[in-house]
Amino acid sequence: MPVDSSIKKLLIVDDSKVSRMLIRTHVLAQYPEWIITEAVCGEDAIAHADSDLPDYCTMDINMPGIPGTDAAEQILSKHPSIKIVIFSANIQETQQNRARSLGTILVAKPVTEKSIALTLNYFADSK
Amino acid sequence: MNNLSELHLDALAEVFSIGAGRAALSLSEIVGDEVRISVPFVQVINSKDINSTTLSLNSGRFGAVSQHFSGPFNAEAVLLFTEEQALKIVSDMMGSQMSLEELAEFEHEAMCELGNIILNACLSAMADILNFTLESSLPDYTVASADEILQRLKANSNQPYVMVLHIDLAIEKRHTAGNLVFLLSSASLDNLITHVDQFLGKIS
Repeated sequence: MPVDSSIKKLLIVDDSKVSRMLIRTHVLAQYPEWIITEAVCGEDAIAHADSDLPDYCTMDINMPGIPGTDAAEQILSKHPSIKIVIFSANIQETQQNRARSLGTILVAKPVTEKSIALTLNYFADSK
Repeated sequence: MNNLSELHLDALAEVFSIGAGRAALSLSEIVGDEVRISVPFVQVINSKDINSTTLSLNSGRFGAVSQHFSGPFNAEAVLLFTEEQALKIVSDMMGSQMSLEELAEFEHEAMCELGNIILNACLSAMADILNFTLESSLPDYTVASADEILQRLKANSNQPYVMVLHIDLAIEKRHTAGNLVFLLSSASLDNLITHVDQFLGKIS
């Protein structure tokens, strides 16, 4: 059976269950057919990226274990085709610069329709 | 005891980590360097059960910035650091090689400003995300012993609940830990839970 290319795989990385639920709910409201997996820390995210090869990934920064930006760097070095948005409350210049240096963007929490729209636009533009 | 589930506490921790992110942005602009603030966990307990372990209050003196908030949710918020840590934070904020005596002169003002930034960032994140409006009083700074602080927290019978946010703060690679304590009446805690339920209802 041919794979429908409009069905994307999204990996949500966040230690907060509420944040994961919010991102999932907002994304599925727009793309109910997308396949969503979740990871609760950077190490978990790297393992998921290797096994699931998602198209897209939202990545929190402050989590137990390695920072999300370090996880994103490792994921991108192995899987440069994955589009990652750093989705975090840590919105300082240093983190914005770090996101830019990884070739991605930082979207400021909270998870709202607006911040999800920014994220989805970035995914759509960087196909 | 009011019913707070793990999901309620997760939601509150997330709300406050967004607040901490906003506070870190403001503080980083003041100190001109990266500031890390995280809220590892949130606890809600009966104030009679509060003790020095809950707040990691060891011996020594503590700097306490307090501010009153009112709205659908009334609270007295108290930000606690040891006085030694408070002086280090002030030193980072003032950004100069001042002596401790000189720093002490600025302690009151700088700690009020720090408290104002952290408290308002946390409360404004809460108000935005849980969809309500809060008014705040001006911050007040006092230095007291651990015993005096505990007595004060337990003494207010109108506010039998405390919500404790454990805060990790690092400025210029220097790590400090403090607590943000909210004193809540039973009705305020109920109102807070209702707002968190409404928020969770939208996503579950």
